[in-house]
Amino acid sequence: MDSRLLIENVVIPAIKVAVVLGVMSGAVAYTTLLERKVLGFIQLRLAPRRVGFHGILQPIADGIKLLLKEDIIPDQADRVLFILAPVISIIPAFAALAVIPFAGRSFSVMGYEITPWITDVNIGILYILSISSLGVYGIMLGGWASNSKYPLLGSLRSAAQMVSYEVPLGLAIIGPLLLAGTASMTGIVRAQETQGMWFFFPQIVALFCYFISGVAETNRIPFDLPEAEAELVAGYFTEYSGMKFAFFYLAEYTNMIVVSSIATTLFFGGWLRPFPNVQALSFLNFLDFINPALSGVFWFAFKVFMFLYLYIWIRGTFPRYRYDQLMNLGWKWLLPLSLANVVVTAFILALRHG
Amino acid sequence: MSVGTLVRRFFLVEMAQGMWITLKNHFRPHITMEYPRERPALAPRFRGVPRLRRDPGTAEELCVGCLLCEQICPDDCISIVVDKRPGGKGKMAKSFIIDYERCCFCGLCVDPCPTTPITAIYMSHDYELSDYSRQEFITQREALVDGHPLKRYAK
Repeated sequence: MDSRLLIENVVIPAIKVAVVLGVMSGAVAYTTLLERKVLGFIQLRLAPRRVGFHGILQPIADGIKLLLKEDIIPDQADRVLFILAPVISIIPAFAALAVIPFAGRSFSVMGYEITPWITDVNIGILYILSISSLGVYGIMLGGWASNSKYPLLGSLRSAAQMVSYEVPLGLAIIGPLLLAGTASMTGIVRAQETQGMWFFFPQIVALFCYFISGVAETNRIPFDLPEAEAELVAGYFTEYSGMKFAFFYLAEYTNMIVVSSIATTLFFGGWLRPFPNVQALSFLNFLDFINPALSGVFWFAFKVFMFLYLYIWIRGTFPRYRYDQLMNLGWKWLLPLSLANVVVTAFILALRHG
Repeated sequence: MSVGTLVRRFFLVEMAQGMWITLKNHFRPHITMEYPRERPALAPRFRGVPRLRRDPGTAEELCVGCLLCEQICPDDCISIVVDKRPGGKGKMAKSFIIDYERCCFCGLCVDPCPTTPITAIYMSHDYELSDYSRQEFITQREALVDGHPLKRYAK
């Protein structure tokens, strides 16, 4: 057992995990700032401006504030579960990032080949689906352990909502999987490269279903019934304060990033530049002169950013759904639509390949 | 349901319209005033706290102690003690106290004021009145005439 094997199998993965965790925490912090800014602009306000230039340090101030806040545990709460719930909700959110490919080509540092993803398993998308559906446990336990009405109602709503939207979400993913013929995240992007198109073009219906279900899965407006502040104070995290509260927030925004990353990978060609097979557009990989992996990261981040912006834009536009409307949309519209999409896609593929 | 409505519903036309409106809002100018740094432009008839003033020519106190403002005040916030004007004819207010805690900024005290060419009591443009103790709101004549130092919140 030489040291090279040790470094390749232990040290480098650990460093990659640390880098992804760090970068994603920063990205989440600045997503909150982006959200406040964009909502401000939509509502003709200025949004945070006091901390740093145009509020650029606001997430840091928020973090310090939340760290210093008193951490209250209600007297009648189930202490163990109450403390465990934020952790349970944040771990799957970050764990889902493990199989997301951030760039296409590996690069070498000091003679070691480093791939720009933590791991590439051949059932990547299944892994993400199974891991991210664990997140609902955090919300449910948090609501239950608080021993209070509003959190309980919020977590019940969340459970019902997540269960019903998991179905169209899973079905919407099948379309691109059929086209790609693989469930590996990098394999899906490679398939888009060889077929010369992003999958959102043939799978626009699947993208629609996926994104709506994704918004509902992450409990965002217009599907934020679990935390509907007008009805349930703050839903499942009503009783939380300080850093535990921040953990729930962190989990929500990380889930947003995960949903956006999956949408980017499945439908928008992950790290690929627009029109990946048109040679004339190769100048779009303008970061290639530094490192080919870097332009992959750029395009990936750009697409994820666009999805996050869409998230926030939708939040600034639409009012919250009523509970029965939410269930109607999920079961009566998205489920048949995504099912039809799977059938049609499979049919066309079968015809084409004989 | 007509075909048009059906098509509009199916292609989510209303939703797209909503998104378009919020997109346009991105580029409209903001309406926020960053208050302590920026200040609103007050209209000439803005009613801040009532103050007394001197004759702009002779710098003499204008108030003749007629008590009309004290009588008309709906909140009873003005109390005046009248005395002879030293070294001249007529009267003046020896003590003139306005309790801003009661004042409702109605401006009725200005209307009956008989002094010419300008009224002795007037509605000033000062509106930053928060303070730490109730005593601070009971303002004496000297402060009313010469202005009492307002707290400046702007840096």
